[in-house]
Amino acid sequence: MATHQTDPLQHPEVQQASLRGYVAGYGVTMIGLLLCLLLTESHALAPLPLLSTISGIALVLLIAQAFLFFGLDFSRYHIWKSVSIILTVPLFVLSIGLTVWMFHELDGLTMLPEMPGMSMQPTTLQ
Amino acid sequence: MLVHLQGPWNPIFGRLTLDSIPYGNPIIQFAFALTVVAGIAVVVPTLYYRKVGYIFREWLTTVDHKKIGVMYIIFGLVMMFRGFFDGLMIRTQQVLADGPNSPGLLEAQHGYLPPSHFDQIYSSHGTLMILFAVTPILTGLGNIIVPLQIGARDMAFPMMNAISLFLTMAGGMLIMASLFIGDFSQAGWVGLIPLTELDFSPSAGVDYWMWAIQISSIGTTLNAINIITTIVGMRAPGMRWDRLPIFVWTTLSTNIIGLTAFPILGVALALLGADRYLGTHFYTAGLGGNLMLYTDLFWIWGHPEVYFLVLPAFGILSEVIPTFSEKPLFGYITMVAATFAIAGISWAVWLHHFFTMGAGPWVNSFFSVATMLVGIPTGVKVFNWILTMYRGRITYTTPMLWCVGAILLLLVGGLTGVMLANPAINYTVHNSVFVIAHFHCMVLLIAFTIFAAVIYWFPKVFGFKLDERSGTEFFATFVIGTILVFTAMFALGFEGETRRLDYLYDPQWKPMLIIEEVGIMFYCLSVLFFAKLFYVSIRDREKNLVGADPWGTARTLEWLTHSPVPFYNFAVTPRIHALDELTWRRDRGWDEVQPETYEPIHMPRNTMIPLIIGVFAFGFGFGMVWRIWWMAGFGLLGIIAAVIFRSFTPDHGYIISAEEVARLEGGKEPASIIKENHAPLPHVEEQVVP
Amino acid sequence: MMDARATLPEKQPELWHFGHDGHDPIATKTLGFWLYMISDALIFGGIFAAYGVLDHGMNDAGGPGAAQIVHPVAAFWQTIAVLTSVLAYSLATVAMKTGNRSGVMLGIVVSILLACIFLGLEFNDFATLFAQGNTPDRSGFLSVFFLLIATHGLHMMFGVLWMLVMLVQIPRFGLNADVVTRMLNLRLFWQFQASVWVCVYIFVYLRGAS
Repeated sequence: MATHQTDPLQHPEVQQASLRGYVAGYGVTMIGLLLCLLLTESHALAPLPLLSTISGIALVLLIAQAFLFFGLDFSRYHIWKSVSIILTVPLFVLSIGLTVWMFHELDGLTMLPEMPGMSMQPTTLQ
Repeated sequence: MLVHLQGPWNPIFGRLTLDSIPYGNPIIQFAFALTVVAGIAVVVPTLYYRKVGYIFREWLTTVDHKKIGVMYIIFGLVMMFRGFFDGLMIRTQQVLADGPNSPGLLEAQHGYLPPSHFDQIYSSHGTLMILFAVTPILTGLGNIIVPLQIGARDMAFPMMNAISLFLTMAGGMLIMASLFIGDFSQAGWVGLIPLTELDFSPSAGVDYWMWAIQISSIGTTLNAINIITTIVGMRAPGMRWDRLPIFVWTTLSTNIIGLTAFPILGVALALLGADRYLGTHFYTAGLGGNLMLYTDLFWIWGHPEVYFLVLPAFGILSEVIPTFSEKPLFGYITMVAATFAIAGISWAVWLHHFFTMGAGPWVNSFFSVATMLVGIPTGVKVFNWILTMYRGRITYTTPMLWCVGAILLLLVGGLTGVMLANPAINYTVHNSVFVIAHFHCMVLLIAFTIFAAVIYWFPKVFGFKLDERSGTEFFATFVIGTILVFTAMFALGFEGETRRLDYLYDPQWKPMLIIEEVGIMFYCLSVLFFAKLFYVSIRDREKNLVGADPWGTARTLEWLTHSPVPFYNFAVTPRIHALDELTWRRDRGWDEVQPETYEPIHMPRNTMIPLIIGVFAFGFGFGMVWRIWWMAGFGLLGIIAAVIFRSFTPDHGYIISAEEVARLEGGKEPASIIKENHAPLPHVEEQVVP
Repeated sequence: MMDARATLPEKQPELWHFGHDGHDPIATKTLGFWLYMISDALIFGGIFAAYGVLDHGMNDAGGPGAAQIVHPVAAFWQTIAVLTSVLAYSLATVAMKTGNRSGVMLGIVVSILLACIFLGLEFNDFATLFAQGNTPDRSGFLSVFFLLIATHGLHMMFGVLWMLVMLVQIPRFGLNADVVTRMLNLRLFWQFQASVWVCVYIFVYLRGAS
C-alpha cells in the first residue's frame, strides 16, 4: 500500500515552521531595507558605491530569507530545494549580467554621445 | 490602453469576419481537402467500430504516463508531417523561382507562392517542427520511458502530466486553425523584430504564433516540473544516482533547462504581446524601445532550447548503442558529467545567434569562446559512443542504423557549428543557408534518434516489433534525402544564398537547387515507407509478438516488464542492485524471476479536468488572437475555476486488489494500455480515503 | 560469456520490494511547487533583465525616468505591508503545527488584509501616475517599470485568491493532508513574494532615486 495513514501535521515541513525564525527574518529584512532607504535618502554615498552597497545588502537579505523563511539547509527534506536554488543563481547572474554588459557595449558603439541641450528622442506621441 | 486596430471589430466576434477565411486561395483549398480526407479517415473508423466511448474513457481522460506519452508522440508525428509538407513547399518554390526568367504560377510572380504566403510557410515550418513536432515527441518518449527506467508506477503528478499534454495540443490546434481562419506569422519562427510589431504585422498571424507558443510553453514547463520531481523523488529502492540509466540523466538535465529557460521565452513574448495589445514600447523603434532586447531575451531562451532538444537525443543514443553493441556504455561518469556541462554552458552562449548585431569584439569574443567550449563535452560523448561500439558485437538493426546515421550527422552539424562559433566566419555566413544546413543537420540527428527510439521501444509498449524491412527502406530513403538536400545547401551557403528567400536571383544556383529538390523527393518516398512500416507491422503483428526483452540484449530496467507493458508497470516494485539492472539479473540467471506473491496496487484515477483545461486554453488563445474578449476571459476563468474545483474534489485513486493483480499477471493477455483497463471515472463510494 | 560467472552461484537477493515504497507525498508536492517557484523566479529575472536594458535616459522618450516617479519613502509603507503580510501568514503556519485552526485562519485573514493594503497603495500610485499622463505606452522605460511592478502585484492577487480558497477549505475539510500541502505551498509562494519585493524595492525604487 502506498498511502500514508500518518498525521500530516507531524510532517517535518509543517514542524519546521518557527516563530523565532520568521520574526527574525522579518526583522532582518525590515532593518536591511530601512538601512538602504536611509543610505539612499541621505545621499551619503556617490551613485556607484551606493548601488554596490544596496546590491550587497539585497544579496544578504535574500540569503537570510533563504535560511529564516524557507528554512533551507542540506538535510534530507530540503536538500533538493537548496541544490536547485543554488544551481539557479548562476543563471540569473549570466542572463542579467551578460545582457547588461552586452547592451552597455552596444550603446558605446552605436549611440551618439549626448550633448547638452540635445534631445535623445523625438517627443511626438503617435 | 488597448491599441486601436486596423479593420473592423465587434464585441461578439472580435476581429473575426468572413473575410478572415481564405476561400479563394487554391493552396489553402488543397490543404483543406487534405485535412478533410484525413479527418474522415480517422473519424469514420472510430464511429464504425464504436470506439468513441473507449477513446474518451481510456485515452482522453487518462493520467497514465504511457498513454500520455503515446498521445504526445502521435500528435508530434502528425505535426511533423505538416511541417514536412511546409518544407516540401519551400523547396519547390525555390527551385521554381530561380532567376529573373523563372515562371510564375497561381498568384506568384515567380514560382507558385507569393511572398506573403511563402513567409508564412517557413515561419510555420520552423515553429511546428521545433516546438510542436520534436518537443512533443521527445517529451512523450521521456514520459513513457523514464518512470519505467526508475521503477516507478507513474509520474509524480499524473493529472498535471495530462494537463501538459492538452496545453501543448491547444497550442498546436491554434497553429492548425491559422491555416484556415486568418493567416500565420510571416516573421519566421524566431519572430523577427520589428516585423512582429503591430505596425508591420497588423493581421492575426503573429498573434496565433505568439499564443500558440505561450500556451504550449506552459505545458512544457509543467512537464519539466513533473519529470524532475519524478526522477528526484520516485525512484525504486536501490536506484541510487550512480545506478540511474543514462537516458534518465539526460532527461533530468534536459528538463532543468526546460524549467529554467522557458520562463524567459514567456517574458520575451509577453513583452511583444504588451506592445501589440497595449501599445507599450518595449521593442519599438521610437519612444524609448529597444529592438535588440527582443533578440536578446528570445535567444537567452533559444539557445538552451536547442540543447533541450538535443540532450534527449544524446540520451537515446546512449541507450540504443550499448544494447546493439552488447557492451555497457563506455564512460558512464564522463557521459553524465558531459551532459551537465553541456546544459550549464548552454546558458552562456546565446549571443552567437546575433554576433552581427553590434555588441562589439569583447562581447563577441566571450560568447565565441563559450560556444566553442560546448564542443568539448559533445566530443567526449561522440568518442564514448564510438568506444562503446568498438570491440562490441554489433547488430545493425534499424534502431542501430539510425543511431550510426545520427552520429555522422552530429559530426557534420557539430563541426559546422564550431565554424559558426567564430565571429569572423559568422559575419560572412550569417543569415545564409549555411546556417540552415548546419542546424538542420542537428535537428535531423534528433529526428534520426527519434526514429531509433520509436522503433526500439515500440515493442515494449505495444507488444510486437515493427517490420525490419520496411524500417530499412524508410531509413535508406530518408538518409539519401538528407544527404542530397543538405550537402547542396552547404554549398549554396558558401555561394551566398541568403535564407528565407521566396525568389532567388542567381540562375547559377539551379543545379544545386535541383539536387535539393531530388532530395526532398526522396523524403517524400520515405514518408510513404513510413506509412508502409506501420501498415505492414500492424497487419502482421501477431507474427511479431515479443516477450519482455525483444532485442535480446537490452540492459535497463524497463525491459524487465512484460511486453506490452501493463498499465500498472511493475506488479511489484523491483529492487535495484546495479547499473544496467537487467544485465545484472540476466548474468545471474534471475531475469525471468517473477514475484511469488502480489500486493494491492494504488493507481491514480482518470479525470476530465485536463481535457477541460485544454479546451479552455484553446478558447483563451483563440479569443486573444481575434480580440474576442469574452471568449478569452471565459477561457482564462475556466482554467482557474477548473483548478479550484479540482482542489475541492480531490481524487486519491483506486486500489487494484492483490487477487486482481495476480489475475492480470497470470493471464494470457497482458493488461496493456490498448485494452480497457478498469480505470473508472470518479465515483464517490469507490474513492480511497487518504 | 557463460564462464564469466563466478563458479559459486550467488545467493539470490531480494529482487522485489514489498510494502510501503518510502515515497512521501507531501514532500513530493512541495518539491514540485518549489521547482515551479524557480521558474517563476526566472520570469522575474527576465523582466529585471529587460529593466536593466530599458532603464536609461534614451528610453524615457522625453518623459520621466525612474528618479522622477519613484518615491522610496512612500513605497516603504508598501514594504511594511507586504513584509507584515508574509509574517502573518508564516505565523499562521506556526499555528498549524499544533492543529490550531482558529490561529491559522486568523493569520490568513490578517495576511489578506495587509496584502490588500499593499495592493491598494500600489493602485493608488499607478492612478496618480496615469493621471499625470505617465502611462505604460508613454515610453520604453515606463513600459518596463509598470510591467515589473504589475507582475509582482498580479502574483500578490493570485496569492490572495489562494488564501480565500484556503479560508473555505480549512473549515470544510480540516487540516488534512491535501489542505496542509496547499498551506505549505502557499507559504513558499508568499514568502517568495517578499523576496521579489526586496529586489523590486532596492533595484527599482532605491536605485531609481539615487
